[in-house]
Amino acid sequence: MTSFLTFTILGLVLGAVYAIAASGLVLTYTTSGIFNFAHGAQAMLGTFLYWQLTYGWGWPMWLSLVVVVGLAGPAMGALLHMLIMRGLRETADVTKIVVTVAIMLGMVYLSQWIWHPEEARVTEMFFGANAKIELGGVVVRVHELVCLVVAVAVAIGLRLLFTRTRAGVVMRGAVDDPDLLRLNGHDPDRIAMLSWAMGSTLAVLAGILVTPIGGGALEANQLTLLVIDAFAAAMFGRLRSIPRTFTGAMVLGMTATYVMAYFPTDWTWAGNLRVSLPMIILFVVLIVLPQDRLRVAAVRTRERYRPPTPRSAAVWGAALVAAVFLLALLLDDGSITTFALGMTFAIVALSLTLLTGYAGELNLAPLSFGAVATITGFHFGVTGSGLASRLTLWGVLLAVLVTAVVGGLVALPALRLRGLYLALATMAFGVFLSNMVLRDTTEHTLFGVTFSIFPNGTLIVPPLQVGPFDLRDPRTLLMTATVLFALIGVGLAALRASGYGRRLAAMKDSPAAAAMLGQNLVKLKFGVFMLSAAIAGLGGLLMASAGGSVSGDNFAIMSSLALVMLTVVGGIGYISGALFGGLVSGVGFTIMVGTFNDLATAHPSMESIYKTIGQLLVVATALIGMGVGKNPSGTVHDIVEGYRTLRGARALLAGAAAVEAVLYGLALTGVIGNWWFAILTACLVMALPVAGRMRAAAPVRRTPPELAGVAEPYSDELRERLDRELGLPARERMAKEASVHAVA
Amino acid sequence: MPLLETRDVTVRFGGNTAVDGVSIGVEAGCVTGLIGPNGAGKTTLFNTVTGLQRPAAGRVLLDGADVTRLAPAGRARLGLARTFQRLELFLSLSVRDNVRVAGDILRATGRTVDVEKETDRVLARTGLEDIAHLEVSAIPTGRARVVEVARALMTAPRVLLLDEPASGQTERETEAFAALLTGLAAEGLAICLVEHDLPLVMRLCTTIHVLDYGRLIASGTPKEIRESPEVVAAYIGTEEIGTEEVRREEVA
Repeated sequence: MTSFLTFTILGLVLGAVYAIAASGLVLTYTTSGIFNFAHGAQAMLGTFLYWQLTYGWGWPMWLSLVVVVGLAGPAMGALLHMLIMRGLRETADVTKIVVTVAIMLGMVYLSQWIWHPEEARVTEMFFGANAKIELGGVVVRVHELVCLVVAVAVAIGLRLLFTRTRAGVVMRGAVDDPDLLRLNGHDPDRIAMLSWAMGSTLAVLAGILVTPIGGGALEANQLTLLVIDAFAAAMFGRLRSIPRTFTGAMVLGMTATYVMAYFPTDWTWAGNLRVSLPMIILFVVLIVLPQDRLRVAAVRTRERYRPPTPRSAAVWGAALVAAVFLLALLLDDGSITTFALGMTFAIVALSLTLLTGYAGELNLAPLSFGAVATITGFHFGVTGSGLASRLTLWGVLLAVLVTAVVGGLVALPALRLRGLYLALATMAFGVFLSNMVLRDTTEHTLFGVTFSIFPNGTLIVPPLQVGPFDLRDPRTLLMTATVLFALIGVGLAALRASGYGRRLAAMKDSPAAAAMLGQNLVKLKFGVFMLSAAIAGLGGLLMASAGGSVSGDNFAIMSSLALVMLTVVGGIGYISGALFGGLVSGVGFTIMVGTFNDLATAHPSMESIYKTIGQLLVVATALIGMGVGKNPSGTVHDIVEGYRTLRGARALLAGAAAVEAVLYGLALTGVIGNWWFAILTACLVMALPVAGRMRAAAPVRRTPPELAGVAEPYSDELRERLDRELGLPARERMAKEASVHAVA
Repeated sequence: MPLLETRDVTVRFGGNTAVDGVSIGVEAGCVTGLIGPNGAGKTTLFNTVTGLQRPAAGRVLLDGADVTRLAPAGRARLGLARTFQRLELFLSLSVRDNVRVAGDILRATGRTVDVEKETDRVLARTGLEDIAHLEVSAIPTGRARVVEVARALMTAPRVLLLDEPASGQTERETEAFAALLTGLAAEGLAICLVEHDLPLVMRLCTTIHVLDYGRLIASGTPKEIRESPEVVAAYIGTEEIGTEEVRREEVA
C-alpha cells in the first residue's frame, strides 16, 4: 500500500511538470493559433542557461532562478513573437509547423554549439536530493513537493488570469478574430506577445523542474523530447482547455509511473514501452478525441506553386541525370558515395512533395517509414552472406510494399485528422518507432520464433544487385539513385497533371467543397498516404544500403524534422524543392562541418574561427527555416520566378551556358579546383535571375487606374485590364457602349 | 412531393439554437427562395442539408430517402450540390480545372463521363469560356460565384443549393445569372436560393421560405411573402422596399 501511494505521488509529480509545460503550450496556441514545436527546445535552452549560471558560474540558486525564469524566459517568448510568430498569420499549417520546428532545431544546434554535448552536466534537486519529508508513511522529496506546489500555483494563476483579468478574457478571443479585437480598442499583438512570454516562462520552469527528476543529466535532444511528451497532455484539452490539460497531464504522469512500477520486468518490451508511453497516449488521444468538423473556409494562404507539365518535368529530369553524370566525373569515390546518399534523401523528400505539396497533408516522420523499409529489407530481402551478400530487387519491392501497408495502417486511424493533428500523429509514430522498434536490440520469442527487430543496434544493409547492375560501385549507385529520383519526379508531375492530381489539389484547397462534389476524402487521403510512404520507404532503404550500415539514430525524429524543414525551405510544392531538401539535410550538414573541420586541421592558427564558421552554418540552416514565414513558397519558387524573367533572353542564356561549359572544362582538366568550380557555378546561377530582373524591370511601368486617360492615353491594353479588374465580361459589348457614350 | 425536404431540423451551437424545428421543401423544376436577416440560420440550414453540420434533431430527406446520417460526399452522389457564401474555390487550379475536377471526382466514383466534353459544355452554358484559362485568384468575385455554380453543375445534380450567389456581382452579371437559373429550373433542376437581393428572389422564386432567429416564420408565394406582416416586420421593413422594387421592374 505504501509503495502504491509512493508511486501515486511520483506520478502526480511527473504530471505536475507535464501540466506546467502543457499549459504554456495551450496558452500560446489559443492566442496565436500556432502550435509551438519549439516549446521543448525553449525549456531545454532555459535549463542549460540555469545550469550555466548556477553550476558554471556559481551564482546563488535564487538569483539564477530569478534571472532565468523571471527575465530570460519571458524575454525569449516576447522575442520569438516579435521576430517570427507575428509574421505567420495567413500561412498554411505546414508553414507554421515548419517555422516552429526550425526554431526547435536552431535552439538544439545552438545549445550543442555553446555547451559541448560530450561534456557531462547535472542539475540537482532543490534543497538537495536528500531533503525529504514523511507524510503518513510516505517519503516525499522536497523537490517533488516544490513541483506540486508550483503546478497548483500555475493552475490558480491561469484560472484567475482567464476569468478575472481583462487581458485574460481578451486572450481567449484573440485567435478567432484579431481584427474584431482591434476594433474594440485592444492590441492583439500585445496580447499575443504577453502569451508568448508566459508560455515561454512556463516551458523554462518545467524544464528546470523536470531535469533533476529524470536523473539530472542535461542532454539537449533528450530534454527537448521530454517536454514534447507534454504534447499528449495538451491534446487532452484539445489545445484549448487548461483544466482538461491538467487532468491529461496527471493521467499521463501516473500511467508512466505505474507502468514503470508494475510491469513485469522480465517482459522484453517493457523498458522501451515505458519511454514510448507518452507518444502512444498522444496517438490514442488524437484518435479518440472528437475532431473538428470540416471547416467551411477555404485555406486562403500565401503559398503559391506552379506545377510543371509532365513534358517539362521529363526534360528537367534528363537534364538532372546528365548534370549529375558530368559532375560525377569531377569527384572521387568518397564524395560520390556522399552525393549518392544525399540523392537517396532526396527520394525520401519526394514523398513529402506528394503528400504535403500536392495533397496538403503532413508527415513529420518520413524517415521512420524509411526505417520500416530498411528493417523489412534487412530481414527478408538479402541473399548471400559476408561481402558477397546482396539486396535483391524482390527484397526492395517487398520492403516498399510493406512500408506502404504500414503507412496505411498508421494513417488509417489518423485519417479523420487534418493538418496539425495528423502532423502530431505522424510525429508520435516516429518517436514511438525510434524508442520502441529501433532500440529493440533484445531477443524476443513469439510463437516459437526467436528474433530481434534491430539486432546489435546497427543493421548492415548490403548494396542492391539487379542483373549486371551492382550498386556496390559508387558511380552506379549515384546514377541509379539519380535516375530513380528523376523517374519518380516525372511520375509525380504526371500525377499532378492528371485527374487524380486535380482531386488532390481540390482536397488540399477546400476539403468541404471537394466533399460536396462527391469526393470521399478519407479514401483519397488513405491512398496518397500509402503512396507517399512507399516512396519514403524506397528512399530510406536505398539510403541504408548506400551508407552500408545504419543505426537507429539515422532515422531519429530530429533528422526527419530537419528533412521536412529543408524541403519546405526549398519549396514543398516543387520536385526541385525535394532535391534541395534531400541533398542539404542528407549530406549538407556533414559536408559543411567536415569541410570546416578539415580547414581547421589544415590551418591550426585559424582553428577556432573555422570551427565557429562550421557551427554557424549549421545554425544558419535553421535560420533559413524560420525565414519560411516570410517566403512560404520556398527558395526554388523564387529562383524559378527569377528565371521566368529570362524567357526570351536567348543571348544571355547561351552566354551563361558557354561560361558554364568553359568552367566545367577547366575543372575536368584540373586547371581549377572543384571548390572553385562549385563557387563560380553558384555565383552564375544566382546572378542570372538578377540580370533577368534588371532586364524585365526596365520597360514595365503600370499606370494606376485612376490616372488612365490623364497621365497617358487610354490604351486597349489598359481598358482590358480595367475590364478584368472590374469584372466586366464582354469586350465587344463594352466597346459598343463606349462609342454610344461618346456620341451622347 | 418535394425533392428535398427538411423535417423539424434543429441545430444547436452550445446553448444557442441556430435552427429551430425548421421544415421546408424544395421542388424540382423551380427556384425556391430562403430569406431572412443575417444570422437567421440560412447557411446553417444549408450546412445541415449538405451534411457539413449534424442536426441535434430532425431529418433531411432527398427524394424521399432519409440522408440525415449520410456524409457530404454520399449526399453529393445522390444529386445534391451547393455553392458557398464565402467562396470555396480551389485556389491552386485554373477556372477550367476547378470545373473539370468535379468531373474527375465523378469518374473516380465509377461513373462514365467524358470529362473534357462535359467541362466545355458547362463552361459554355455558364458563360465562363473567356476566363477559363485564368487562375481563380485572378478573377473578380462576381465571376468566381459563377465558377462555383459551374463546378456544382458538373456533378449533374438534381438539387442545387446556392448561398448568396449574386453578392459581388455587377448588375449585368446578375441579369445573366438570373437567366441561367431560370433555364436550369426549366430543365427540371430543383434550386434553393439564399439571397439578400430581394427583387431577384421575388422575380425568380415560385416559393419562398423566411427564417428569423432560426425559426420558419413564413412560407409562400412571393406575393404572400410580400404581404405577410410578420415578414415585413422581421426582414423586409415597413417601407415595403421589396414591393416597390418589384413594381418598378414590372413597369419597366
